[in-house]
Amino acid sequence: MNLTDAFNIIGSAFATNAAQSAVIAQNVANAGTQGYSREVTNLVADPSGGVDVESVTRVANNALTEQMLSANSLSSSQQALASGLATLAQTVSDSTSASSTSGATANGDSPSAMLENLQNALQTYEASPSDTNLAQAVVTAAGNLTASLNNASATVQQVRSQADADISSTVNTINSLLNQFQSLNTQVVSGLKTGANVGSVEDQRDSILNQLSQQIGITTVNNPDGSMSIYTDSGVTLFQGNARSLSFTPTPNLTAGATGSAVTVDGVAITGANAPMAIESGALAGLAQLRDTVAPEYQAQLDQIAGGLIQTFSESDQSANPTQPNLPGLFTFPGATGVPSLANATGLSSVIEVNPNVDPTQGGNLNLLRDGGISDPGSPIYTYNKTGAAGYTGRIQQLINGLSATLSFDPTAGLPASQSLSSYANASVSWLQGQNQQATNQADYQNTLASQASSALSNATGVNLDTELTNMLTIENSYTTTAKLLTTATDMFSALLDAV
Amino acid sequence: MTLSSVSTFTLGTSLLEPVQKIQTALSQDGVEATTGQYADLGLQLGEQAGFELSLRNQSDALQAMTSANSVISTNLTTTQDALNSIAQGAQTTLQNLASWTSNQTSGVSLQSQGVNGLQQLVPLVNTTSNGQYVFAGQNVAVPPMSDYLSSSPGMAAIDQAFQTTFGISLNSSGVSTISPSDLQNFLTGAFANLFQGASWSQNWSSASSANSTAQVAPGQTVETTTSANQPGVQEVTEAYAMLAAFGGASLSTAAQQTVVTAASSLLGQGLNDITSMQASIGTTQAQITDANAMMASQLTLMQTQIGDLDNVDSAQVATNLSALSTQLQTAYQLTAQLQKLSLAQYLLP
Repeated sequence: MNLTDAFNIIGSAFATNAAQSAVIAQNVANAGTQGYSREVTNLVADPSGGVDVESVTRVANNALTEQMLSANSLSSSQQALASGLATLAQTVSDSTSASSTSGATANGDSPSAMLENLQNALQTYEASPSDTNLAQAVVTAAGNLTASLNNASATVQQVRSQADADISSTVNTINSLLNQFQSLNTQVVSGLKTGANVGSVEDQRDSILNQLSQQIGITTVNNPDGSMSIYTDSGVTLFQGNARSLSFTPTPNLTAGATGSAVTVDGVAITGANAPMAIESGALAGLAQLRDTVAPEYQAQLDQIAGGLIQTFSESDQSANPTQPNLPGLFTFPGATGVPSLANATGLSSVIEVNPNVDPTQGGNLNLLRDGGISDPGSPIYTYNKTGAAGYTGRIQQLINGLSATLSFDPTAGLPASQSLSSYANASVSWLQGQNQQATNQADYQNTLASQASSALSNATGVNLDTELTNMLTIENSYTTTAKLLTTATDMFSALLDAV
Repeated sequence: MTLSSVSTFTLGTSLLEPVQKIQTALSQDGVEATTGQYADLGLQLGEQAGFELSLRNQSDALQAMTSANSVISTNLTTTQDALNSIAQGAQTTLQNLASWTSNQTSGVSLQSQGVNGLQQLVPLVNTTSNGQYVFAGQNVAVPPMSDYLSSSPGMAAIDQAFQTTFGISLNSSGVSTISPSDLQNFLTGAFANLFQGASWSQNWSSASSANSTAQVAPGQTVETTTSANQPGVQEVTEAYAMLAAFGGASLSTAAQQTVVTAASSLLGQGLNDITSMQASIGTTQAQITDANAMMASQLTLMQTQIGDLDNVDSAQVATNLSALSTQLQTAYQLTAQLQKLSLAQYLLP
């Protein structure tokens, strides 16, 4: 050891201080950056007695990262579902807002409330069957009911079409994110090989993963060379060395009964009931569930209500020896040739209408409501009121009783099959609001989990300004001391030179 | 670094989320405190929304039924009033007949009794309520009895029957030779048949025998109209028609006495039958009153149930509101204090 060594050591100390300061400055600058992982300088003693910066490591926590990604996916799938259900729930807005409980007629616009209004109008009509004003009230109530069903059906189709469009844009986002991921991943791998600092690139790569996890449920695997592989939560490869491409064909207008196409990766379907490896989370999964399961089920329930109405108000052959089939009465649909069975009601809610034969604005006759024969005006076959008496209430009573009679609905619509039309309409509201409540609660819950996971990750890998400042003070002290050493060593050299 | 460390980012944003949540809850509670009901009922009730809706619908249905019942009640009260007037008229005529003595103008007085009776009876039977003829059975759009005229189908049928039985017209002078017993036979035979069954419907009444019915309470159906084809109306009409037809004819005094006796007995019987019509309508009225009372108590029960589902506990909402505002204040104070808690504050000049 000699004095010259001291200079070398002092030099290495200055260099280390500078490197440490640079890292601290970078950390402090990114204290407010979400997803930034702090960097730490690793020092090592020089064989000559000095100090060297061995490496700058990025603090990472794979377990917490995975947890945050999965929480993000679950949260965004529930949010996609909840926002779709909130739109659907607007079709039964009378059950979402507090109502006056003293009104004589039901408020709101749900099919259930409109059905009740129709029943009440029939009840009033029954008391004065010769009053055409009351018959008009029944036809108006029936018109409101069909409008309510038509609107609800249109809302379902709009929600489904919107979900389909959202799936399409989500697929585009995922593909573009995967491509960005590929270029960043390549930079990380080559950077690690050449020993460059890849911390900021890794940050960007993590941020891509974060965005990706909101769109689709993913799991990641860290490879020894620093590269990363991405799989869907169901195990389909999204990225391994290079990006796989998601493909999807949008369906512009999803009518009742129509199914949208599935999202595929390398030809494997990852959404839909028949997908072998269906994804479970992420906005894509939520949207697919909305488009393929929840909304079609509600559509089916609306169709069942419409089919039940057509069936309940249908007219039968009134001859002594009936030979003719039942025909649609007050409620019908364009091109109807008979009464469709409830198992075959798909799409009825969007086309159901009040029979023009009973609507005076379309040249119809209001009295047919009381007398029967709406299906075939003038024909005696479907006329219930044989005498033509203005006080005949038999048919009206039959209709009122029909509304509370038990029907056999199609069980695939997700509601108990054997119940009355009114209770079916109510059960449908219950189902929808139940789904809505559950999705909203789940979205809230998953959102909290996601923000906790994100806090935990930030706590583990983020920057604490106080820590950085403390480190800075240490470096400052070290710098001051080193400077003092340098002065002292220089003094010693000067003294030696003076002595010579 | 251990997991117990806190990053500056988390520290700075940790209070954002609670503040947002508290603010959302505050706005919800504010709505609930002013309306007394849940802010988002559908979300609150979930699966129970349909149950709540069905309660609301049922209570609306009961209200609709109650108001429809008031129309039916008005109709029935009008019917009762009309029947009262018919009975009063019959009673007066019965009294006049009792004090009847044979004299020169007695025939004419008998005839005017009958004509007056019919003139009084027809508008009463044609009484309307809410645009419906209350005695028309189901045929509520058509007046059940046509106005009495000498050329009316009813009177023409009497002339015809008389002609067939006695071979002479009612107006001929030969009628004075008809014996009381022959006349009696005619009155209880061919004449009486005119006021029954198909002849009655053909000559006198266009009412249908079947009545309109309506539900007055869930599952309870009653008849809401009355038919002029009931014995009470038929007998009174028969008595009046008898007086109107034979009062003017030149019958012998003894035969006139027969007419008076027969008409009196018919009126007496008619009064009895009208009373039983009134009794049956009275039963229906009582049924409606009972049904209304029952539905009113059901309504009260349902309103209570709906209230249980819809309404918030106002005391709890008030407590929540004050707790939330305290929390919010605490969160604000903490945020301000946390901003001060940085080493930088103490290191920098």
